[in-house]
Amino acid sequence: MSIFKSIKALIIGHFTVIKHMFKKAVTKEYPEERPIVNNFFRGKHVLKNCTGCGYCKKVCPAGAIEVIKKDKDLVGYVIDYNKCIFCGNCMFYCPTKSITLTNEFELATDNKSDLKIDLLEQERTI
Amino acid sequence: MNYLLNLFIEFLDKHNFNESIGIMIFSILPFAIIAAALVFVVLMLVYAERKILAYMTQRKGPNRVGPNGILQTTADAIKLLCKENIELLHSDKVIFTIAPILAFSSIVVLWCIIPYNAEFHLIDSTISLLFYVAVAGFPMLFHFLAGYASNNKYSLLGSYRALSLTASYSVPILFTLLATIFLADSMDLHKIIIAQEKVWFIIPNIIGFIVFFIASIAELNRCPFDLSEAESELVSGYHTEYSGMRFAMFFLGEYAALFVTAVFTAIIFFGGYQPPFGVYLSNILMGNCRCFNFLIYFEQTFWLIAKSSIIIFLIIWIRGTLPRLTQKSVMNLFWRYLTPISIINLILIILATRG
Amino acid sequence: MNKMTLNLGPQHPATHGVLRLIIDLDGEEVVSAEPDIGYLHRGMEKLAETRNYYQYLPMVDRIDYLSGFFYSYAFCNAVEELNHIKVPQKASYIRIMLMELNRISSHLLWFGTYLIDLGAISPIFYAFRERELIMDYFEKITGQRMMYNYFTFGGVRHDIPFFDDVQSIINTIGDKIGDYERLLSENPIFLDRTVNVGVISEKKATEWALTGPNLRASGVLSDFRVNMPIYDDIDFDIVLTNEGDCYSRYLVRIYEMRESIKIIQQCIQWLGQCSSRDLPFLEKVTLKTFPNQEVFSSVEAPRGLSMCYLNSIGGNTPYRVKWRTSSFYSTQILKDILVGVTVPEIMAIYGSLDVVLPEVDR
Repeated sequence: MSIFKSIKALIIGHFTVIKHMFKKAVTKEYPEERPIVNNFFRGKHVLKNCTGCGYCKKVCPAGAIEVIKKDKDLVGYVIDYNKCIFCGNCMFYCPTKSITLTNEFELATDNKSDLKIDLLEQERTI
Repeated sequence: MNYLLNLFIEFLDKHNFNESIGIMIFSILPFAIIAAALVFVVLMLVYAERKILAYMTQRKGPNRVGPNGILQTTADAIKLLCKENIELLHSDKVIFTIAPILAFSSIVVLWCIIPYNAEFHLIDSTISLLFYVAVAGFPMLFHFLAGYASNNKYSLLGSYRALSLTASYSVPILFTLLATIFLADSMDLHKIIIAQEKVWFIIPNIIGFIVFFIASIAELNRCPFDLSEAESELVSGYHTEYSGMRFAMFFLGEYAALFVTAVFTAIIFFGGYQPPFGVYLSNILMGNCRCFNFLIYFEQTFWLIAKSSIIIFLIIWIRGTLPRLTQKSVMNLFWRYLTPISIINLILIILATRG
Repeated sequence: MNKMTLNLGPQHPATHGVLRLIIDLDGEEVVSAEPDIGYLHRGMEKLAETRNYYQYLPMVDRIDYLSGFFYSYAFCNAVEELNHIKVPQKASYIRIMLMELNRISSHLLWFGTYLIDLGAISPIFYAFRERELIMDYFEKITGQRMMYNYFTFGGVRHDIPFFDDVQSIINTIGDKIGDYERLLSENPIFLDRTVNVGVISEKKATEWALTGPNLRASGVLSDFRVNMPIYDDIDFDIVLTNEGDCYSRYLVRIYEMRESIKIIQQCIQWLGQCSSRDLPFLEKVTLKTFPNQEVFSSVEAPRGLSMCYLNSIGGNTPYRVKWRTSSFYSTQILKDILVGVTVPEIMAIYGSLDVVLPEVDR
């Protein structure tokens, strides 16, 4: 009879829901437990021995990279994180593998000007 | 109440105070206790629902504000108090303002007739059950008025659905409670509880329990019957235009009504404040000593709250599982199935008790 | 007849994005319905005119962010056909495996949001819990949870070393789909809201150019994966039902998830036998396009048939890229099918068509 089938389906549905009460919660409490990301993760950039060829600028979809040169010497390399979409094209198409994307993903700041970072300066100070 | 009042008057006489102070305090003190309990219980119920629904979906509910998140609802209530009351240009201002207030107050009245134990109740009347049937439907009327006064098409859709729901659930509830009145021979809640000393009314009236349970979930406007405030179709139904404390009145009124419904289900079907099998734990704990007699009263309140907690858990569980019904199905369910079943139940019980 | 015009406006909890539906109501019954789109237009086709192929590739994932691999595949396939680049077979199998995982994740999200539109609040959390498994796996392989940029011209970007984690994911998801069916497939309230609601006949479905699960639920045998050469060695069934109502669209998607699990199992077997010296990408890729070359590249996305039309003018940038997305056609049919239904049924029908606004507006 269809009424018995419906009542049975309702009761099975209820028990399917209640058995989740006895399982461990999947919530991760941020900021005490930060997510662990893997080695291919595309976060903030790090520059090392850049030759200033400008390939990364040609393949960046958002136009976030600026390569500043003075008489064929590399003087500045600025990435604008307001525009960067973290696609990783600059890392994939760099002929000398100078730029890599690290695991850092926490980018919130108070000033917008903090987000235009000169990676050459950063390389010198580290 | 008389017992406690007499004790207090004896105490005052011993210390040569005027008797009228005692009467004055005893008119206000129970209401103060009930009001404080109401605020506390409603806040706890909101927190309990959020936590239970969270655990059913493998999450943790609120756990940051206060130890384990207990103060979350207080924080929410304070936040809602500080919000701006948006005044609409073209709404019916009188009805728009008083609808949430009356929706909440009509439930507070029901808290006063509940017998919490054999001595403590605010209003003692021989027709308390009839009073419950009459007043429990009031919040739905104010939901309809609130939706109508908002001058908003979504609220209008929500409010006329509320009206059709009101007409549908009232009839099965009435017939089920008529069956209880025949079983207990009275409309007084105390006498109904005393009549359940031997066997709880759920056993003779099991069909009535199922009908009453389904109809009272509809009365509370909860899933699966929350078609008048359906969040995914009508943005918020009848309380779309309310903000701040007015919305909090609707919201808290719904949880106050949840408690009242659970308590009445416990009283009418599960024996009220009586312990199961008539065994009082405080009698066992104290042996034959008659000194702490008043502990029985606390135990009775404890049993009432325990039974209603189980019923509240069932209602929250049902909310977490089932999808929402449409207006056509709700009317189909009530008028074609539940009303005839409750009438047949009534006839069977009359024949069994009188025939 | 008193008509009330209701604006299921761009801001609504249940339109899955910013769709505006202008509905004329008589009581609770719909007299006429008109969808109004364009609130999420981002100019995806225009952007292609000023960017070269390498710059446009990461943007293609974002056309429909819930099924990024499919659009990425469509664009890569188009460019590969234009330049006669042959993709290694290992890359094809990896692409198929990731696309089918993406199909499962997209159908899971549809399932969760459809049920919360109907009022049940638990299944969305269960669906998202399973999606987390898949998205964590994508992050392990490609580096990002949603905008992958992993397919490239000539294959994929880097190799996947082992597949045990995929096996455990599909085992878990296979069990959980059984859970969902037990929760809902016989539930009388769910059946009452979806059976015989929003019936689309075979004729109507083909006239309005529906594709994907919406079409297969109406009884038309049409699945583009049969025509794709990379699926030649893979054995799977096409799921068909006859009724064309919301319940059959639900059933088609649930069974499609199980078919995707079968396909992924076969891919894992093939890739397990493959040696680790085979690389799923080409070492050197040169793009050399000539003027007036055009290509159509289609893929069976979770919502239907998606097609990329690429017209090149020679040089680095395409001349014209056009995207044919399936949600656009599913939105069109709303004008016809919502006439005469009540307000709760609008949500049931609209939810079952699986319309995602970024696909509609591009």
